[in-house]
Amino acid sequence: MRFMVFVRSPRSLAVCGGDALLRAGVLLDAGDLVAGVCGVSGYWLIDVRDREEAVERVRRIPLPACVVEIRQVAVV
Amino acid sequence: MGATTSVHRTVDAVWRMESAKVIAALARYTRDVGLAEEMAQDALVAALEQWPVEGVPRNPGAWLTTTAKRRAIDQIRRRENLNRKVEEIGRDVREATPDASEGIEDEIGDDLLSLIFTACHPVLGTEARVALTLKMLGGLKTEEIARAFLVSDSTVAQRIVRAKKTLADAGVPFEVPEGPDLAPRLASVLEVLYLIFNEGYSATQGDDWMRPELCAEALRLGRVLAELAPKEAEVHGLVALMEIQASRAKARTGPGGEPVLLLDQDRGKWDWLLIGRGLQALERAEALNQPPGPYYVQAALAACHARARKAEDTDWQQIAALYQVLARISPSPVVELNRAVALSMAFGPAAGLALVDEIAGEKALRGYHLLPSVRGDFLMKLGRTDEAKAEFEKAASLTRNEAERTLLLERAAACDQTGTLAGRAGAS
Repeated sequence: MRFMVFVRSPRSLAVCGGDALLRAGVLLDAGDLVAGVCGVSGYWLIDVRDREEAVERVRRIPLPACVVEIRQVAVV
Repeated sequence: MGATTSVHRTVDAVWRMESAKVIAALARYTRDVGLAEEMAQDALVAALEQWPVEGVPRNPGAWLTTTAKRRAIDQIRRRENLNRKVEEIGRDVREATPDASEGIEDEIGDDLLSLIFTACHPVLGTEARVALTLKMLGGLKTEEIARAFLVSDSTVAQRIVRAKKTLADAGVPFEVPEGPDLAPRLASVLEVLYLIFNEGYSATQGDDWMRPELCAEALRLGRVLAELAPKEAEVHGLVALMEIQASRAKARTGPGGEPVLLLDQDRGKWDWLLIGRGLQALERAEALNQPPGPYYVQAALAACHARARKAEDTDWQQIAALYQVLARISPSPVVELNRAVALSMAFGPAAGLALVDEIAGEKALRGYHLLPSVRGDFLMKLGRTDEAKAEFEKAASLTRNEAERTLLLERAAACDQTGTLAGRAGAS
């Protein structure tokens, strides 16, 4: 299953420790989004077996105070 | 969903994520992969008992590792001749705090790599290597592996028990091989990953043509290996091959579940994200400037198809050249047969037919239905319809797949019509 993880953080996503996702073989894509009122935002696209794994993997990342939204990508 | 069920699902997820690292860390101390796996399983049972009551710990991976190490100490204490190891592990557990493992991600990379090489050791048979890899590195339960390979739980359990015993009996060291040992051992690891992927991509048993969960697991393990061994071009080659092949998953079957051949696939259904990743992995392999290995060349072949937005844009000359390279480094009659197809597409059916006739006597191709099928195709394109019909009928009699037999008999019947039309055209 693919999940899009949106992170609204005052820091760039590149310094937020997404390497763990890469080393775990689940990171498909990552990128920064144009900064909004909540600061810099970015996303990770991950491929995991279920929602629980998505949540657990994101929980392990030492993110600064930020808002995280995890959404499953629809499969056509 | 009840709270307990929710915790159990979290335990499952944590186990899939952490089990390989826990086993690897334990194996480093115990030097016994079998014992490490058993102790990790014990820790899982403890988690299933305690976490629903006490809550999921803040660092579940560290909790599992510490619990498993304590179990290992208990086990080892029962073995008088392993007192030294008890001291080592005891010291480690005393010093460890749950938070201490947060920074060990890099440190355990070597352990994980050692575990991969141990699980895929050539001393084990293919089925044992596959089962052990999925169990210890994929975090799959015995019943999940059994379901994936359509065998009983007890069969898989026995394979795993025997595999662990074989490793112990053979005294396989828990380490990353070096020097001249590395290449054959790496080849064994890559073979296992590709076998898992292929069983998912073209299932050899059962009603389903594909089992996506196996493809996904092989891909994930391949990506992990690529990060652990970034200087090995063949690892990136295999990852590239799997990414590109996986990209076609949704286009490989028609609405009725029937197979759709590569050139007939709707390329709009290909997963272009995976293609992009595959091409990137191929670039990583190329950048290492190492002699091309079989996975790299197969990935380059897959990339030729992936780069063509339409089937008619395919660079068949490049494909024919790559098959020549593959035939040199990994010679086989099947590779030659594929090369004949590429030659036919690049230079015309006569070129393909010439090569097919050269290899037709190969023992390995005797009874292989694709040989007469391919030959029939070339003959038909050359207008030799009577000979083509005989080849398609021969191919139909050799295949064990019903859908393929129907297709081949239809092609044989079409030869009659083509022959009749050609005769009329000639008469007029």
